[in-house]
Amino acid sequence: MASFILDERDQRFILNELLEVGKLCEHPTYADFSEDMFNMILEEAQKFATEEIFPTLTDSDKEGCSLEDGQVHVPKSFHRCYKLYCEGGWNAMSHPPEVGGQGLPIVISTAARDWFMHNFAFTSYPGLTEGAAHLIEVFGTEEQKKKYLPKMMTGEWGGTMALTEPNAGSDVGNLSTKAIRQPDGTFKLQGTKIFITAGDHDLVENIIHPVLARIEGDPPGTKGISLFIVPKYIVNDDGTLGRRNDYEIAKIEEKMGIHGSATCLINFGDNNECYAELLGEEKQGMKIMFQMMNEARIGVGMQGLTSASIAYMHALQYAKERLQGSSIEHFKDPTAPRTPIINHPDVRRMLLWMKSYVEAMRALMYFAAYCVDKERITNAEVEREKWHGFLEVLTPICKAFCTDIGFRVCETAIQVYGGYGYCSDYPMEQFLRDEKIASIYEGTNGIQALDLVGRKLGLNKGAYFMGLIGEMNSVVDRYKDNPHLKDLAHDVQAGINTLADVSMFFATSAKSGKFLIPISNAYPFLMMMGNVVSAWLLLWEAGIATEKLDTICSGKGIDPSDHAALSGLVKENKDAAFYSGKLASARYFIKNVLPEVDATAKAIKSEDLTVMEIAEESFAV
Amino acid sequence: MNTVVCMKQVPDTETLIKINPEGTGIVTEGIKWVMCPYDEYAVEEALQQKEKFKAGKVTIVSLGPDRAIEAIRTGLAMGADTAVHINDAAFYEKADPYATAAALAAAVKDLEYDAIFCGKQAIDDDSGQVPAILGELLGLPVVTLVVKLEVSEDKTKAVATREVEGGHAVVEVSLPAIFSAQKGLNEPRYASLPGIMKAKKKPVDVKTVSDLGVSVEPMTAIKEMSLPPARQAGKILEGEDAVEKAKALAKALHEEAKLI
Repeated sequence: MASFILDERDQRFILNELLEVGKLCEHPTYADFSEDMFNMILEEAQKFATEEIFPTLTDSDKEGCSLEDGQVHVPKSFHRCYKLYCEGGWNAMSHPPEVGGQGLPIVISTAARDWFMHNFAFTSYPGLTEGAAHLIEVFGTEEQKKKYLPKMMTGEWGGTMALTEPNAGSDVGNLSTKAIRQPDGTFKLQGTKIFITAGDHDLVENIIHPVLARIEGDPPGTKGISLFIVPKYIVNDDGTLGRRNDYEIAKIEEKMGIHGSATCLINFGDNNECYAELLGEEKQGMKIMFQMMNEARIGVGMQGLTSASIAYMHALQYAKERLQGSSIEHFKDPTAPRTPIINHPDVRRMLLWMKSYVEAMRALMYFAAYCVDKERITNAEVEREKWHGFLEVLTPICKAFCTDIGFRVCETAIQVYGGYGYCSDYPMEQFLRDEKIASIYEGTNGIQALDLVGRKLGLNKGAYFMGLIGEMNSVVDRYKDNPHLKDLAHDVQAGINTLADVSMFFATSAKSGKFLIPISNAYPFLMMMGNVVSAWLLLWEAGIATEKLDTICSGKGIDPSDHAALSGLVKENKDAAFYSGKLASARYFIKNVLPEVDATAKAIKSEDLTVMEIAEESFAV
Repeated sequence: MNTVVCMKQVPDTETLIKINPEGTGIVTEGIKWVMCPYDEYAVEEALQQKEKFKAGKVTIVSLGPDRAIEAIRTGLAMGADTAVHINDAAFYEKADPYATAAALAAAVKDLEYDAIFCGKQAIDDDSGQVPAILGELLGLPVVTLVVKLEVSEDKTKAVATREVEGGHAVVEVSLPAIFSAQKGLNEPRYASLPGIMKAKKKPVDVKTVSDLGVSVEPMTAIKEMSLPPARQAGKILEGEDAVEKAKALAKALHEEAKLI
């Protein structure tokens, strides 16, 4: 059954040919795995996604969630899917085997999620459980781990992440949920949390909420925040479920998309009986949450990638089948046969634009995940710091760049479908609606830009950012004398230089007291950096593709610079077509999209601050 | 209950098939290979029987080149215990249903089993003959197109429901016997992540046909292979109204399609 979720060849290319993930198995942590096994896992992920997850996408959107007598019900089709997902072990892919996980490298679980996350309404349930379990795994006491982890790992229990309040969204420090200390060392919670994904549902028998709150008497702001475990049913010492905890699901939100995901408003402690256990140390709530942030933000970036990927794959298929108009050579002849729209220049432009971005984002997301693995298994301090640095700097790009570009890819894919793309008979408009949330939650993209410019650029005295610049330069160096790639390498080098230059410009501006320049340009800078990072990755991909294409050509006795012979080969040989497509992605992107960074640099350097100067009264009268 | 599953790796059902220049087979370059879907039912049935009796071993036997190990591992990841891989590319190239069955029979004869499960046919060559020839070679009863199976507590007999033209037939058979699985027999499970990890450590016995002492020659050979003719464009019937169009349709069905 065809699924059009993603190009599996591209997935294998990035894992096996670009990152060479098989080499991770040389390390004792992953010695039980092999490249064959990774491939087999991804075969199975593909099968499961195609046969079980994708088919629930449309019906769950139409059915949505319901709240009856205080209990949330998810779309019916999710029940079978969730059961099989947990039976398959997909819900605990990267947790260590000691706590009941499968111990996969993060880059492989990320690749498996690449198949699953197009249906984010579904994957949010096991995904939130994973996040909550990870918090308990890292910060819980032995007793808490024993009490909560096993059933969360099997998927019998769920988890959430209860941070947001009506007056504490981006400004978490402003939260007002309070924790009242009890004589036995536990707490009672009182307060309201909103927008809690998977806040309640009927897929599991118990739900474990990590909740941010302030212990009575603790200071205001982020410094006074602690983290608590609030179970839906209080767990007895023997592991059985006790009383229903004192909180209430007041409503589920009506949203633009991800209708199958229950977004809950929760009132804790209306009867003053909301049991809570401290997780980690007091007043360390924000610090604990921040440790999980990279992981969660990369997860949301995946939503941008997967939405873009499925939208592109659908648009491509449609463009090959949909007949409309005559080909450009016969445009004056009304009797000429109708042609598939993929032959129209503007449609090709949209397709190649989407293709190059999807491939760049896939490489970026997998590379970021690979950094987590490398950091985990590297013993040498300097080397480990290098991978950690890449991850710190790239996390806001993964989250904000991929979710905003993901949305634009969905929009462009609708455009390829024309009027049908706007109609709900086709899934295109749902891809767009479902994706939109990704730029908003887990720290809005504006917050991500401030994180990048305000924190990450200067982190470790700027060494992390410069480390990434160095890594990008080394790829350029590798291909700057390659006859097929040297003009592209030259352009990418110019892009990297511009990026480094603007970052220096920000530093100088800040030093001279002009803080508003970096702050008000944080978002354009983030998107500019995303484009440079994309160009770097696409050049790297093209470099490998060139080598492989040369090998195929020499095997067939074809001169790679003979265009006619090469196009003949591409028609016949799937691998040749794929590698040739990689070169096209890189060339198109570097020649047509990358120049946008020059415009952004010019705008930033103009030091224009109209955004700050315009009076509120003047926005509209 | 000990069982053997005869399994074949075939091109993915969505493969765009091309005939090779010699016209004797398909182009195998760039094909994605999977376990034959009917063999998935066979593996699942073997696993369910083992689970029902809470004892026994499931052994997968497959004839195929190096790549067949991927499908064998899939079966092991689903839960089978061991496998025999008859890895003999030269033999496999020419093997017809008889030669295939002879190789499988040689591999199976030393195994302990109460039943052998096969898919009803491989979806690549569609011959559907192997289960029957295997039964002949091993001297075992064969029940084909099974959609339901109940094995007696003492494992001496089984009652199988077969799909027959327009209905079902229920047959009783003594064990050991061969059963060929039809769609509907069960719902094959997905290989789980723990299953995939365990599969790597499960033993696969690799043998050539000469290791097995098989010296048969195929009885048939493919002389020519061709793709089905391309589908003709549809025809839009002309007519002023429904009555006219119905007349045109009746005429076309009678004179052109010769269906009525």
